[in-house]
Amino acid sequence: MSRRLSPIDRVGRVVLGALAAFSLLLLVAPSIIVVAISFEPRGFISFPPSGFSLRWYEHVFANRQLTDSVVVSLWVSLATAAIALVLGVPAAFASVRGTFAGRSAANAFLLSPQMMPGMVIGIASLFFGAYFAFRASNTMLILALSVFCLPFVIRIAMARLAGLDPRLDEASANLGAGKLETFARVTLPQMGPALVAAAAFTFIEAFDNVTVALFTSDVRGRPLPVELYYLVQYDSSPAIAAISALEIGLSFAIMLVIARTVGLERLGR
Amino acid sequence: MTHIALDAIVKNFGAVRVLDGCSVAVDKGTVMTLLGPSGCGKTTLLRTLAGFVEPDAGRVRVGDRDITDLPPNRRQVGYVFQSYALFPHLDVAANVAYGLRVRRVGRAETQERVRKALDLVSLSAFADRYPARLSGGQQQRVAIARAMVLEPEVLLLDEPFNALDAKLRLSMQIELRKLIERVGITSIFVTHDQQEAMTLSDRVAVMRAGRIEQVGTPIEIYDRPRTAYVAAFIGRANVLAVDVAAGRVVADPAIAAARPDGPAWLVARPENLTLEPGGEGAGWRGTVAFSTPQGATIEYEVATGAPEPLRVVTLRKVGEPPLPVGTPVRVRAVDPAACVVLEDGPDGA
Repeated sequence: MSRRLSPIDRVGRVVLGALAAFSLLLLVAPSIIVVAISFEPRGFISFPPSGFSLRWYEHVFANRQLTDSVVVSLWVSLATAAIALVLGVPAAFASVRGTFAGRSAANAFLLSPQMMPGMVIGIASLFFGAYFAFRASNTMLILALSVFCLPFVIRIAMARLAGLDPRLDEASANLGAGKLETFARVTLPQMGPALVAAAAFTFIEAFDNVTVALFTSDVRGRPLPVELYYLVQYDSSPAIAAISALEIGLSFAIMLVIARTVGLERLGR
Repeated sequence: MTHIALDAIVKNFGAVRVLDGCSVAVDKGTVMTLLGPSGCGKTTLLRTLAGFVEPDAGRVRVGDRDITDLPPNRRQVGYVFQSYALFPHLDVAANVAYGLRVRRVGRAETQERVRKALDLVSLSAFADRYPARLSGGQQQRVAIARAMVLEPEVLLLDEPFNALDAKLRLSMQIELRKLIERVGITSIFVTHDQQEAMTLSDRVAVMRAGRIEQVGTPIEIYDRPRTAYVAAFIGRANVLAVDVAAGRVVADPAIAAARPDGPAWLVARPENLTLEPGGEGAGWRGTVAFSTPQGATIEYEVATGAPEPLRVVTLRKVGEPPLPVGTPVRVRAVDPAACVVLEDGPDGA
C-alpha cells in the first residue's frame, strides 16, 4: 500500500507517529506510575518502587473510613447515573424530535452545565440549598452531580436519536402503536448501547468527581474523592496510590464489561 | 363502490402548497396508482391517507367512516414504506408480529398469523433472520407481510420497487399484483414509473403540482390523454401546434377534431405515425434526422422545422435497413381517429 511515498509523506508519517506515541505516553504514563507506586513496601512515595508489596492495599481495605466512603461513592454514582438517564433521555428526545417553540433554547439550557466548572455548580448548589435551609448532604451531592452529568447523557442520547430513522416511528404508529409504546418498543431498544455508554460515563464521572463533591457532600459520610482530598493533606503514604490504582481498575473493568457486552465501537452510535 | 375517498385535500409546507385540492376515489378491491414526477405531491397524498400528514383542508374517508382526524395508529391502513422501515432490532417474525403484539393478540394466534403471512410472501424460511441480512426483495416482502398480517382495509405502497434492481422489479411487480388480487385488498401505489403504473393498476391518477390531472384506466390514459402533460408523462408523444378550422385540424390529410376553431395541439403517439420516402404528396414533410433500428421496430426522428422533431416508430421487416439520415420523407397518422386534439399545449401554453 505504501510503496512509493514522497519524502514529505514519509516525514509526515514519522511526525504523526511520534505525536501519537507522545500523547499516549502523556495519557497513560501517570496511571502506570501510580499503579507502580502503589506496590511500594516502604511508608513513603517513591518511583520506581523499591520492592513489591500489597501492604498498602491491605491498609486501604482495613481503613473503615475509606471503605465507607467507597460505599457512599458507589451509591452516589449509581443514583446520579439513574437520575441523569431518566431525565436526560426524554430531554434528548424532546430536543431531537420535538417541534415546540423554544426547543433550541431549552436544549442549550440543558447542555449549559457542561460549560460551567464543577466548582461553580458545587458552590451554587451550596448557596441555593442554604437559601432553602437545605444542608450539604449526599442527597444534595446526587442532585448537583445529576445536573453536572446531564449534558453527557443528553449529548450521547441526542447523537443516537438523530441517527435513528423517523420512518420507523411512523411504521410503528401505522401498525397500531401509540407514542409511548413506540418509544418503548422501537426507540429505546435501538438506543440500548448509547444508554449503556451514557450510564457508564456518568457513573465514572460521578465516582471520581471532586469539584462538585467538595462543596456539597455530607460532612460525615464523605464520598471517596473528598475523603482522598483530605487524606492527601496529611498522609503521603502509598495508600493514596493504592486507592488510585483501585479506581483505575474499576474504570477499566467497566469499560471491559461494555466492550464485551455492547462493544466499544457501538457506544457512540 | 367507492372505498377510499380523498376529498379536496389541501396541504401547505410553509409557503409551498404541496397539495392543491386533490380528490381521488378508489373502488373497493381495486388498485389505484398515483403517478407523477417527484415533487408533485403524490407521496404527501398517500401519507395524508395514512395519517402521517394532517391536511390543512379536505376530508379523508375509508368505507363510510371519516378518518381525517384519526391518529395514524387508529387507522386500519397498511403502509409499505419506500425504504421498508423494518425494525432493525427485531427479526423477521418479530417484525411481522409487531402489530399483533401491539394489539395484545394471544401468543398462539400471533404465531399462527405470522406463519401464514410469511407463507403468503414465501419467506417462511427466513423467520429468524434480521433485516440487515436480507436482500432488498426479501425486505420488501417482509414489509408487505408486516402490513398484511393485520388484515387492513386498505394497503398503501410508497414507491415499493424503487430500491430493487430492474430485473427483480418486474417479477416483484407481477408477484405483488397477484397477491393483491388474491387477497382482494383495496390498494394505492405511488410511483413515478409509468411502466409500473401500467403493470400494477386498475386505474391511474396522474398528478401534477399538487393536483390530479387525469384519472382513468391505464389504457384510457394512454389512448385519450386529457392534457399534453399527461400524454408526455405516459409513454412518448408528439405534441404538435396545429390550427383547427371547421371541426378539422388543418393538416394534409385533415384530422377530425371536435374543437372550436383556432390554435390547438395535436397529440400523436410515435407508433401511430408512419413515414414514406419522397417529398411529394400528403403528410408532414421533413427529413430523417436520426434513426435507430430496435429489432422489431425502427425509431425515427424527423426534422420538420418545428422546435421538436417528430418521433416515428415503424415496424421493421427482417433485413430491412433504416432510411438513411437526410432522406426526405412524408409523415402521416396511421389512424387519424387515434390522434388527440387538445386546446392546451405543453406547460399550459
